[in-house]
Amino acid sequence: MALTILFGSFVLLLLIGTPIAFCLGIASFLTVAYLGIPPLIVFQQMNAGISVFALMAIPFFIYAGDLMVRGDIAARLVALAASLVGHFRGGLGQVNIAASTLFGGISGSAVADASAIGGLMIPQMRQRGYDVDYAVNITVTSSIIALMIPPSHNMIIYSISGGGQISIADLFTAGILPGFLLAMGLAAAAWYVANKRGYPITAFEGWGNIGRRALGAIPGIILIGIIFGGVRSGVFTATESSCIAIVYALLITLFVYKSMGWTDFVAATLGAVRTTAMVLLIIGAAAAFGWLLAYLRVPAQMIDFMQSMTDSPLVIFLLLNVLLLFLGTFMDMSPLIIITTPIFLPVVKAFGMDPVHFGVILVLNLGIGLCTPPVGAVLFVGCAVARIRVAEAIKTIWPFYFAAFVVLMLVTYVPAISLWLPSVFK
Amino acid sequence: MTAFTAWQVWGRFVVNDSPSWTEPASVLMMGWFILLGSAVGVREGYHLGFDILVVVLPETPRRVLVTISDIAVTGFGGAMAWYGYQLAAGTWNNVSPALKIPVGISYTPLIVGGVLIVLFSLERILRRLAGLPEPHLEADPADSVA
Amino acid sequence: QEVVLRSADTHPDGYPTVEAVKFMSDVLKKETDGRISIQVFDSHQLGEEKETIEQTKFGVIDLNRVNFAPMNGIVPATIVPCMPYIFTSKENMRSVMDGPIGEDILKAFEPAGYVGLAVYDSGARSFYNSKHPIKTLEDLKGLKFRVIQSDLFVDMVNALGANATPMAYGEVYSGLQTGLIDGAENNWPSYESSKHFEVAKYYSLDQHSQCPEVLMMSKVSWDKLSPEDQTAVRDAAKQSVTKMRELWDAQEEKSRKIVEAAGVEINEVDPAPFVKAMDPIYEKYADTPELKDLVKRIRDTQK
Ligand code: NA
Ligand code: NA
Repeated sequence: MALTILFGSFVLLLLIGTPIAFCLGIASFLTVAYLGIPPLIVFQQMNAGISVFALMAIPFFIYAGDLMVRGDIAARLVALAASLVGHFRGGLGQVNIAASTLFGGISGSAVADASAIGGLMIPQMRQRGYDVDYAVNITVTSSIIALMIPPSHNMIIYSISGGGQISIADLFTAGILPGFLLAMGLAAAAWYVANKRGYPITAFEGWGNIGRRALGAIPGIILIGIIFGGVRSGVFTATESSCIAIVYALLITLFVYKSMGWTDFVAATLGAVRTTAMVLLIIGAAAAFGWLLAYLRVPAQMIDFMQSMTDSPLVIFLLLNVLLLFLGTFMDMSPLIIITTPIFLPVVKAFGMDPVHFGVILVLNLGIGLCTPPVGAVLFVGCAVARIRVAEAIKTIWPFYFAAFVVLMLVTYVPAISLWLPSVFK
Repeated sequence: MTAFTAWQVWGRFVVNDSPSWTEPASVLMMGWFILLGSAVGVREGYHLGFDILVVVLPETPRRVLVTISDIAVTGFGGAMAWYGYQLAAGTWNNVSPALKIPVGISYTPLIVGGVLIVLFSLERILRRLAGLPEPHLEADPADSVA
Repeated sequence: QEVVLRSADTHPDGYPTVEAVKFMSDVLKKETDGRISIQVFDSHQLGEEKETIEQTKFGVIDLNRVNFAPMNGIVPATIVPCMPYIFTSKENMRSVMDGPIGEDILKAFEPAGYVGLAVYDSGARSFYNSKHPIKTLEDLKGLKFRVIQSDLFVDMVNALGANATPMAYGEVYSGLQTGLIDGAENNWPSYESSKHFEVAKYYSLDQHSQCPEVLMMSKVSWDKLSPEDQTAVRDAAKQSVTKMRELWDAQEEKSRKIVEAAGVEINEVDPAPFVKAMDPIYEKYADTPELKDLVKRIRDTQK
């Protein structure tokens, strides 16, 4: 009964348009009232959920990403990517993917990535004879790469949702190879579609140009180095390196590139404040929701249920992936990580999966969900930038979904793709 | 805005050295940020939600559903303020080890945030009843996060 | 009518404190013909210690197993058993906490909204490092030790002439490896399970802290029980202490064997000069007449 109230009221509120954070909070409140537990537990857990030092890395990374979009760091990385892979078949499509891989390394946010690279690339591609839906498809799906390559605030959210015991440094490192694998998968899809539609090839720019562009992009590349190296070597915590990323991005955009005015700065700051409050309130409310799940022993029951169905980890992992993909079509990424981690992490652990490996799967899987309707922030941004309807973009996106799904399966069933790199760095 | 800059300075403090009070102090500030920001979010309607159904409905049922939702949010804000007060009062005598201040202080943002959420969602309801235009239902997607 | 008491623990399933509370549940069930039992939520499922302590106060959960340290700001008397070098041995700690002093400390929980039921072992923490064995204060000079985020521990390590570096537990291994720190401090089972012995192979048994664990009940939940049931709960809790110590000693022994087999150099320490160096710490932390009296009573048991 308690579970019916918890999930029932949650879904009902969700459907009438209540913000997710309040759906979680109100559903928990009603359930607690039904159980006769003092309701203040909901607010204690909400408060505890947001009083985590490591959480501060999330707004910091978002802010840093935003600064880089508004400053010139992102554009220069795109220029570098263009000179590197522009001469392959499907030209600018490949550039788009390469740019996501490079820029995604510092933005850490798929939405920031989609708006930054979409804003730069989609008009360029349209101008040079590419179909707009193709440009949107690539921009949208390739921004999942940003989630995989460090830093990734979703990995931090996962680590915290998993009880804070999972190493953020390991998660960051584990995402790199799957991120590159995804880039290759999408590049293949882009090449396939480009061939089928007969898109043009641009000429090779020559090594001199590549060198010049690399020089211009050095500050951005250094930033990737600071964040990754700092966290990995243990000199900084994730929170500290995210803070350094902001200071660095500010200094570069203000004094080296001189590309950002006061208005941009204010806009970036306000944007970061809003996103922060929005995401972290969900994290807080989900902590109350998660507390109730633990109190009602949902994870334990889930494990029993799964074990009674099958004893094959392969089947369980497939089921979990399908379930997550399904949930991902309806809900956004961070709330889903926060809600599902306490339930699924014990399950996958019981079936012998490494928590770091599961983190990579979770982020990749829910990242795909960001690109699917009805709820897909990245898809919305991509379509908004290109000014086309979501239905138009979806009609031709299937080769890219397929590529992403194949990579997801590879990452799920070949743990070494995720776990090899962290083991090298240890 | 000013507070955000201050917050950053906190961050820089943490980077330079780690006296044991900076972490809990920044966490305390973050609590204020999130709850005040959330209350403003209610007013401006930028919270993440699932508004597909609500958007496709005709005007009248849509207004009814959204008003029910606003009433639920108002109730939750009220509960947040009331139980936030109880939590603060009940833990006021506990001393936080690093800051040497009452643990209860960490619950005060709940009270203020709760009261503001009540006020802002009532404002939304009243504006709708008065037939005034609504603050945009959805946030600018570029401002939302993945 | 059936009562299921919900109990929180931060340790994982199978840990001695978790098993002790489960054992207490079995005893209770037997004594009350199955009317009262305990459900243990291990591995901080219901939150961190600070949170579950509040939940216990408000009657959200019924029982809670926490360390004395997080109770320091709530029940001042709990500071004393956490003072450095307050106990001379494990046996000394156990007999003090079993006796009238332990009873008085548990009684001090009540005004804060808790009923102290039982005191469990948390083990004796000692220093380990990667440089050399510590036998005298001189050996500690200049060494960098990771400590938990606690002013008491920072002050203690600094007063001993070493440098305290507060750091998250998960970062200690690589910190030892890269030389960011020279050592850390913990009990036998943690020294072993964290694998820190692989990178810090000098373990010096100075036993500076034995800050024990407590099993406490919410005053709200306690008042709901009949006097007979209250007695049954108290008795079952007392019985669980014996069980806990049995399990703890076995665990310590097992860890010790593993560490010894790995070639760790272990040495005993004459604590007298270390205790002397703690005078300013006692001045600062045991600063009220009540606390000073408790310190004196514990010292009297050691004469
Ligand atoms: Na990233
Ligand atoms: Na979706």
